[in-house]
Amino acid sequence: MKINKEFARKIYAIRQKQLKRRSKEKNLIAWVEDHRLRSGKGKALVFILPTKGCSWALSKSGGCSICGYLYDNPQNVDFESMISKFKETVKSKITSDSIYSVKLFTSGSILDKREMPDELLQKMLEILNKYDQIKEIVLESRPEYVTPKKLDFISQTISPEKIEIAIGLESANDEILRNSINKGFYWANFEKATKNVLDKGMKVKAYLIFKPPFVSEYDSILDTLNSAEKCIKLGVDTISINAVAIHRGTYLNELFEKKHYRTPWLWSLVYICKEIKMKFPEVRIICEPVSGGNERGAHNCGLCDEKLIKMLKEFTLSQNIAVLDTKVKCDCYKEWKSYLIHEKIELGDPHALLN
Amino acid sequence: MRFFQPMNQQGFARTLVETRTHYLLSPGLISIDLPQNQHNLSGYWNMPFPPQYCENIENANSIKWIFPDKIQSRVLTEEFLFSIQPFYPAFVSPKISENDYNNYVESFLSQSDPKNEIFSLPLPFIDHPSLDLILETECSLFILNGFYSLFSNQNRFTETMIKLKERLPPDIGLYLPGPIPPSYYSFLVYSGIDFFDTSIAYYVSQKGLFLTESNTYPISKHPNCFCPYCSEKPPNILGHNLMVLQNKIASIRYALKENDFRRDVEKEIHNFVPFAAALKHFDGKFTKNFQKRFPLRINAPLRCIGEESLYNPAIVEYRERIKERYVPDTNSRIVLIIPCSAKKPYSFSKSHKLFGQAIRDGLKNTRMLSELIVTSPLGVVPRELESIYPARFYDIPVVGKWSEEEINISAELLANILQNYPKNTVIINHTNGKGYKEIIEYVKDYTDFEIIDTALTSSPTSSVSLSMLTNTLRELDEQISQNGSSPPIIRMLKAIADFQFGKGVGEILFKSKVKIKGRYPRNREIYIDNHHVATLTTADGFLSLSPKYAQNIIEIAKVNVEFTAERVKGSSIYAPGCEKADENILPRDEIFIIHDGKVIGTAMALVSGVDMNKMRSGMIATIKKKRKDDEN
Repeated sequence: MKINKEFARKIYAIRQKQLKRRSKEKNLIAWVEDHRLRSGKGKALVFILPTKGCSWALSKSGGCSICGYLYDNPQNVDFESMISKFKETVKSKITSDSIYSVKLFTSGSILDKREMPDELLQKMLEILNKYDQIKEIVLESRPEYVTPKKLDFISQTISPEKIEIAIGLESANDEILRNSINKGFYWANFEKATKNVLDKGMKVKAYLIFKPPFVSEYDSILDTLNSAEKCIKLGVDTISINAVAIHRGTYLNELFEKKHYRTPWLWSLVYICKEIKMKFPEVRIICEPVSGGNERGAHNCGLCDEKLIKMLKEFTLSQNIAVLDTKVKCDCYKEWKSYLIHEKIELGDPHALLN
Repeated sequence: MRFFQPMNQQGFARTLVETRTHYLLSPGLISIDLPQNQHNLSGYWNMPFPPQYCENIENANSIKWIFPDKIQSRVLTEEFLFSIQPFYPAFVSPKISENDYNNYVESFLSQSDPKNEIFSLPLPFIDHPSLDLILETECSLFILNGFYSLFSNQNRFTETMIKLKERLPPDIGLYLPGPIPPSYYSFLVYSGIDFFDTSIAYYVSQKGLFLTESNTYPISKHPNCFCPYCSEKPPNILGHNLMVLQNKIASIRYALKENDFRRDVEKEIHNFVPFAAALKHFDGKFTKNFQKRFPLRINAPLRCIGEESLYNPAIVEYRERIKERYVPDTNSRIVLIIPCSAKKPYSFSKSHKLFGQAIRDGLKNTRMLSELIVTSPLGVVPRELESIYPARFYDIPVVGKWSEEEINISAELLANILQNYPKNTVIINHTNGKGYKEIIEYVKDYTDFEIIDTALTSSPTSSVSLSMLTNTLRELDEQISQNGSSPPIIRMLKAIADFQFGKGVGEILFKSKVKIKGRYPRNREIYIDNHHVATLTTADGFLSLSPKYAQNIIEIAKVNVEFTAERVKGSSIYAPGCEKADENILPRDEIFIIHDGKVIGTAMALVSGVDMNKMRSGMIATIKKKRKDDEN
């Protein structure tokens, strides 16, 4: 399936404007947060590695319509300081009183050797391999870099059951991938990559996007449910539901500023988590809306946002569906319903009329 | 056969009924939720909520129509499907690319039963050629997509609506989805929208809305309401809001039924400035589009309060017909110009009785006198036409000040009528006041008539003015000799017939000796040679002809409908039987059903002639009289 060229051209044009504004250099960023591991509650050490950025976003095809992570990557990459800082951080942040999941994010694909040379990846994995309390290592990548060869290479350093390959599938619907996101790959590619990973005894985490552009929220709920089901049936055991947040310098940002797009409702996220968990209790569901409660992130009316975000966080940590049944009452629940039906009929933001 | 058929048109505002059962559906509300009560709800969105797991993202949703149980089995369909997600994958609705639109149209047409599907029409594609393909499917409900953006631009709004309404046949329902405040409903119905939905009622959170029929308030600050919903603790704002929407629709339906809808619109545009401007566009640039769909044969009070009333399509049509069709009686030698009265018909008022007395005192032969009543907003009412709509039914707040527009309109019409009189006609101006003076000045500038003023110094009803009128007439009576003129009732019948059926009709219909039975306020039955030929209906002041008699005027009548069959069966005329309808036919008009040059019946039009020609199914007229076989 070929990409939608007209769409890609528009995204590329927006991207070009913004790319020049990137900073020349960036430091490695890392933090520790509470996290749900497969073996229970623990902590996550998250790294944002300052590589040159996502190859797809940097390509002539413009990258994804919703993604502005690329702008956090530096124009120049300094691998030496990256690796020394990495070492330092691991040493100082990993304590012995908890189990850890280490997430290696580059805002791109860590398995892409143009972004992260093999020997560096190997070095990092070697460092991590020294700590027994590190139970999971999450590597983020586009599916085209998830080859058996690469996976074997990783297995040489670290035991495969610790590895989780996180792939941003976004949706299992090729039409959405093509015309809403400009993802550049399709379900079949994801399917193949996932099989590669599972064959090596590693795990797969799938990111699903909730409410990409040009899809009504109503349909996006359906799509997310369907995509989750498809992934789970393939053997994916962790689903991360990412509600769209508006990144500057993206195609979506332009729609948003013209009031053609409203970021998703928190009610929808609660509903999706509940539905998937009910149908697939054994699957780990992660849903932590970025800039939740904000106009530019998933939000409700403003009164109940905090409560619902807290609820989602608690659910992500505990994986306990009962948490989602806590009755949060708010008048905007009725608006949510009206909004969704409306947006579906009209594919526009009904609020635009009221403002 | 389309699901809807229009009835009771007033411009683009109309009611739509289900074609088979004639059950009223529009103007109506579509509930976005399974409704608690069904008052004035035409249907509801049958959409599972929240959405459930399902194989296909394009799952079929529908609008289910709400019918009473007893007619349920006879309706054409109970629901309209919304099977395909419009424009997915697509750009945001108003910006959908042509390619995506074509794909949508293609997939729409490939549905197994497109006539029961809802078509979603995006704003940029209202002139797209593919619309014809959609229309051929007999699909009956269009969702107007992206039309909000027009609300703030009166030019584009009016142009778009006109373009759309002229393009679509009248039996297609237009649904404008979205949170539309109820205070916009009347104007939007007037523009041709048939359905709204209840979504605005659901905006009830802290940032939400409290609705009243004429305004929209934030929930934090709104006028008190004492309805049962608001009296609940805590107040049930959603219940209140829904009730307001339902009440608003009820009042629109009532006004349409009572033929008083235009006044609602004139009132409502004061709520929203762009609509006030849009109505001016409709009344100015697009008045023809409304005029030819606006009934004249009605008997509802016509209150002309605002400036907008000057351009009420019925009044504009009246003025045009006076210009085109009013033929002064050939034997008139004197024209008396007098002011209007509050009481209608004028001749029942105190002032006009005084004028009548003064005329009879002055003239031996009053038949050589024509009376023209100058008034606003109608302009001029010849005495002969004082009992028809709108002349007998309008009311206006009179303060003695005329606006420039009123003066221009009346003056122009008056000059126009006077030009039809012979050059030697004497004009008497028996009016007083600045406005009238300016009108007469205008007439003096544009015509060569001699004009005698008889009420220059004091009010026309003062004894000074009245005796001056009598004296003037007395002098004229001695100078002018005239005889053979027809009595006032015949002049009236002729004028009404011309006004109603076309210029020259009166002369043909009432040339022989006419006998009239019945007196006002009863209907007057008109006989020629002992045959009943017509009825003058008091309710609206218009004529009903017997089919045989109508035969005499079909050459020049402007109310003819060519019918395909030799005979009319049943009591209604349906669109498939209509070969060609005269485009001058207005809704509610008396029309002649003609087959092969022969009038086979008379009927009352339900829709305008323009729309009869565009309809392919549904009733277009109800039969009044059929021509009997022995009437050959």
